[in-house]
Amino acid sequence: MSFSPTEKSMQYPIPSALSLLTAVLLVSPGQAQEQVAVKAGKVITISGGEIENAVILIENGKIKSVGSDTDVPWNARVIDASDKVVMPTYVLAHASAGMSGDNENLANVPYISVADGIDPSSGFFAECLRNGVGSIHIIPGNRTLIGGTGMVVRPVGKTVEDMAIRTKSGLKLSLDPQNGSRMAQIRKMRRALQDYEDYRKDLNRQKKEWEAEKAAGANKDEEFPVETDSTKQPVLDLLDGKVTGYLYVPSAAELGEVARLKNERKLDLVLILGPATYKGVDDIKALDLPVILTSNLEYMEQDPETGEQSITCPAEVFSKAGIDFALSISDASSGSARYPWWQMATAMRYGMDRSSALRAMTLEPAKILGIDSECGSIEAGKVANLQILTGDPLDATTWVDMVLLEGEVVYERSKDRRLQHLFGEGQDKD
Amino acid sequence: MKSGALTLLAVFASSLLAPAQDQVTVLKGATILSGKGPAIENGVLVISSGKIQSVGDSQTSLPQGAKIIDCSGLTMTPGLVDAGTMLGLDAMNANEQGGEITPQMKVIDALDPADPRFDQIRRHGVTTVQVNPGNRNVIGGLGAVIKTSGNTVGEMLLLDESGMRLTMGAEPSVGNRAIRGGIPDNMYYRRPTTRMGVIWAARKAFYDAIDYREQKTIADGDDQSLGVDPGMEVLVRVLDRKVTVHTTAHAEQDIRTALRLAAEFGYETLLEEATDAWLVAKEIKAAGVKVLISAPSGNGDLRYSTTDGADPRLSTLMVLAEAEVPFAIHTGSAMGSMHLIHEAMFAIRNGLTREQALAAVTTVPAEILGVADRVGSLAPGLDADFILWRGDPFAPTTTAEAVYINGQETEK
Repeated sequence: MSFSPTEKSMQYPIPSALSLLTAVLLVSPGQAQEQVAVKAGKVITISGGEIENAVILIENGKIKSVGSDTDVPWNARVIDASDKVVMPTYVLAHASAGMSGDNENLANVPYISVADGIDPSSGFFAECLRNGVGSIHIIPGNRTLIGGTGMVVRPVGKTVEDMAIRTKSGLKLSLDPQNGSRMAQIRKMRRALQDYEDYRKDLNRQKKEWEAEKAAGANKDEEFPVETDSTKQPVLDLLDGKVTGYLYVPSAAELGEVARLKNERKLDLVLILGPATYKGVDDIKALDLPVILTSNLEYMEQDPETGEQSITCPAEVFSKAGIDFALSISDASSGSARYPWWQMATAMRYGMDRSSALRAMTLEPAKILGIDSECGSIEAGKVANLQILTGDPLDATTWVDMVLLEGEVVYERSKDRRLQHLFGEGQDKD
Repeated sequence: MKSGALTLLAVFASSLLAPAQDQVTVLKGATILSGKGPAIENGVLVISSGKIQSVGDSQTSLPQGAKIIDCSGLTMTPGLVDAGTMLGLDAMNANEQGGEITPQMKVIDALDPADPRFDQIRRHGVTTVQVNPGNRNVIGGLGAVIKTSGNTVGEMLLLDESGMRLTMGAEPSVGNRAIRGGIPDNMYYRRPTTRMGVIWAARKAFYDAIDYREQKTIADGDDQSLGVDPGMEVLVRVLDRKVTVHTTAHAEQDIRTALRLAAEFGYETLLEEATDAWLVAKEIKAAGVKVLISAPSGNGDLRYSTTDGADPRLSTLMVLAEAEVPFAIHTGSAMGSMHLIHEAMFAIRNGLTREQALAAVTTVPAEILGVADRVGSLAPGLDADFILWRGDPFAPTTTAEAVYINGQETEK
């Protein structure tokens, strides 16, 4: 699977489009060469190991250098995190939250977009920042057939435009049986895609005929009069390979259909795998598609004959099979699966190694979204999306102390009013 | 606290359970967090016949011919005690629908020892639990303390009458409807229908029990016509402070009501699921009441409504610790969300010390339930219930390597 950065180019918002809140923190466009130096007790770079006592030099929102032998320029603003741990902000490759309603009640709605549903004031985004998440792919939920278009956002901003990192990130497809029948869902998917294919063929045929007529002297000075049905456009782009399909696969039983969608329909796919898909791990490896795991990392099953219960961690199964994947957090408003650190720790409890777990919350999702040239690790040239932690990311007592997006401080724990409320008046959380 | 005969039975049952195992076993090399005193590096635990013989450091003399298990690199804690769960009861069986005052119901009569959740929590270090009836009745019945390993309730049992369930707040009245003609065909056609009604139902039950006790005293056993009312018998034991009331009270006003009702009738109570306890800490301390706090991991949830309108805070346990209110962490109705060890981990995240958090899932719940002479810490004479953790027990990446109950390693 290759990602072409030209097709999926980054669309970072220009500073003037940012909200008042962030604008005060941002460099004004005229003031060039603003430098920020983050002095870190430890930097977890993700791509280049862990460096003790390092300096991350940021210039105009981008990482200029990272290393232990960097001199801090005299005019740089210094953020002292010398007793703290700095790592890239987390990237969520698949989330269906921060909207009022994550699925339309019709199943075949390629024309809707999360851009119209995202609520910038949703607690989900504040919670993302609080937990060190810097980039989020918001996409319609899995209770659908062709569910609509997603977008990549940052959890900062007063409007969707402020938040946007990339619009039209991909189209949601789902093989989740919507009325209890797997047969029906697969059948509907084939039928729907065929209908769009037929529509396109018919349109092309009309166009050909019209052009033939034009060549023969008719329709002088006219454009082809039939407009493409815009409600169908996202699927036509999908069929043309211009748009990535984010395909939810609930169990291993659907993997055959996934192979057909990939090989026969030639769709460009990213798989969102439910925990029950672990049984098809070999087929998934053979498919060689980017993989995002849903948030259920402790999948409980009951043996239908003995009644015995067992728990499987899909992250551990896929990791052992050598499949790269992105981890997700829960979209729910409760439960520990909302925390990236808890998700990584859970995968590790079942045997996944530390560096792979950290990658699965940072660089892997960035790769899947095609934004890895900008974020997902701490490297010179990338955007300075950093989180400053009070300790190791996998220690339960660690808190996110500060978040920088594009080099600007967008979250400080000492100013987090919700945390202050939860710790009560006069309570010192340190 | 308990009826003697049944406790005897329980002791008898557990002695039957412990296999004829006079073999002395030594577990050495682990870092031991005994629940009493500081951590012991390179510690030694000596067990035989399902009991702990001694706990000490590497200088501890090892008995001759003992079986030695090397535990170096592991951390040992007492088996965890969850002071309030509804395990072993499915949702249909947790609440008797015959009435809202059912003190005579006993969970051990309904408990399913094959509930797979016992295995799940045991694998994560919980070796003793209190099982309570549900919260849909004002007075739900009698809970029991059991171990999480065993094929029958008798094998598992530690205490068969560990406390009487009383529920404040809206929970016992939610959805109830007054009967206005017609045939009441489901449990919702009943009283109480308000918070006030819930308290009145409880108060009336205690007045009836006072009356019953007086009648009994006057009759002095001569009047056979009085008969025995099993529910009243339980309530009389409560009034005589022989059975502790476990009052579920989430919201501030319900906690205050719970304290007031206990003072009014002079019974002993503890508070369960006391979400708002941080608001009432001084009063709770003054009343000498102990508190169970459920699932600290959930106190940071992004919720818009909470049970009974309570106001959860991340600081709750620190406020209680500061006010010197004894507290334990339990799963309660948040059951299934997290394992107890992870709840303790979240409590540390929120500011509790490691020692306080360990105590809140071992020694304190054992004391609160009245079983500290059997479980909750590692000391000579106590049941050999302990966990070997691979790594720091409070790290999110740690798992339990081995779980011992009555000196036996349990099934993984």
